[in-house]
Amino acid sequence: MTGNKIIISLSMILRMLVRQKIVIILLLIIPAFFFTIVEFTTSNRLLPFQLASLDDDVFINISEKGISFIFFAVASTGFLVSFLALNLIQKNNEINRRLVICGYHPIELLTSILLSLLLAILLIALYVGLLTHIFYPIDHPGRFILGLALIGFVYGSYGLVVGSLIKGELEGILIIVLLVNIDVGWLQNPLFYAEAQNQLIIKFLPAYFPSQTAIITAVTNYSATAAAMSGIVYGLVFLISSMLFFFFKMRTK
Amino acid sequence: MILELEHIAKSFGKNKVLRDISFQLEAGTLTGIVGENGSGKSVLMEIIVGVRRAYQGTVKINGSIGYCPQKAMLFPHLTVGEHFNYFSVAYGIDSRQSKKRAEELLLHFNFKKYREEKIINLSGGTQQKLNLSIALLHEPSLLILDEPYNGFDWDTYQRFWEYTGHLKKRGCAILIVTHLLSEKERLDRMYELENGILL
Repeated sequence: MTGNKIIISLSMILRMLVRQKIVIILLLIIPAFFFTIVEFTTSNRLLPFQLASLDDDVFINISEKGISFIFFAVASTGFLVSFLALNLIQKNNEINRRLVICGYHPIELLTSILLSLLLAILLIALYVGLLTHIFYPIDHPGRFILGLALIGFVYGSYGLVVGSLIKGELEGILIIVLLVNIDVGWLQNPLFYAEAQNQLIIKFLPAYFPSQTAIITAVTNYSATAAAMSGIVYGLVFLISSMLFFFFKMRTK
Repeated sequence: MILELEHIAKSFGKNKVLRDISFQLEAGTLTGIVGENGSGKSVLMEIIVGVRRAYQGTVKINGSIGYCPQKAMLFPHLTVGEHFNYFSVAYGIDSRQSKKRAEELLLHFNFKKYREEKIINLSGGTQQKLNLSIALLHEPSLLILDEPYNGFDWDTYQRFWEYTGHLKKRGCAILIVTHLLSEKERLDRMYELENGILL
């Protein structure tokens, strides 16, 4: 019966998502909008820089346009997935609790939410990865898409934590925007990061490992396994926290 | 005994909303609770169904429970039919029985034509019909109704009372929050909630 409950719940969540047409349109438009801005505002001059995850003597030679596309691909994936995660867990809180009263177990509901988020992460990473490849040919598109899925996982889990803890929609959105803006939208830009006064703070932010992974996989032949594993651990901490908060909120006497 | 409350107390900070509430409901009875706005009626209902935690006292329920919250709790982007499917799975009702029950409720409360409509496209009254129908779907032995007829037209209001009569005969214990003293004659027993105490 648990399997059937999860399948039905998953199918209902996906129906609700697909029926919010404005959300779907924005998911498609936002990355394309970012890339169009990059296309018209950046130059092709080479900007050599170092990545913190690679050895000190490794310089990456890439154009301003290229690194901007990669950076905005990471930023838009993190941004979109965290909003979607917030929406998934927060919006139907009351009615989800009614389902629990009627017989659903919080874990069954949470599993279906996580499965739908996982599907959304894969689709968004695939879409943004392919779109990036159209604007700027990536050396290893498959690995790069996996890197984008990693930022989706970390920031999706962050969105779940915010959605589980914060009741108000506006407050939740502001908290998401705050971290997304500072972290993935600013400090993880490798050009800023390379010259930053205090790199330690940046290394502790959630987008650090996924950003490193995405850049390494996109434009080098180096292994990104260590950065990717650290990113997964970071995401798991968020995910487990969100599961505990959700379970605590949904439980009934 | 279907429901037994013993010494229920609940505070929000220094505000003691409920103080030492005890009562019992037997099968086939209809009991009402009246009280001013903010007197704690909805909090008491939420404690009974298990939504509210951190209260004092004990709640014993013998059988399945159906709960109709005051505010319609529905998914805006799902249809009426999908709500019946979703909640049938939650209750553990098999597909054939679920279809039969949904059909009966859609016909009784006269909203069958909205079966394929999404909730965001429905009027408040029709949403409330579904909100109530979800509580009735699995034919519970205890029905908790928190002002269930908000937004109902006169015909639906009459149909609602007709249905509760039918449920009573079947042995269902019904607890209804109301603010209409005129409904007193329909009830087997009526409590007034005042200053956190049932009178």
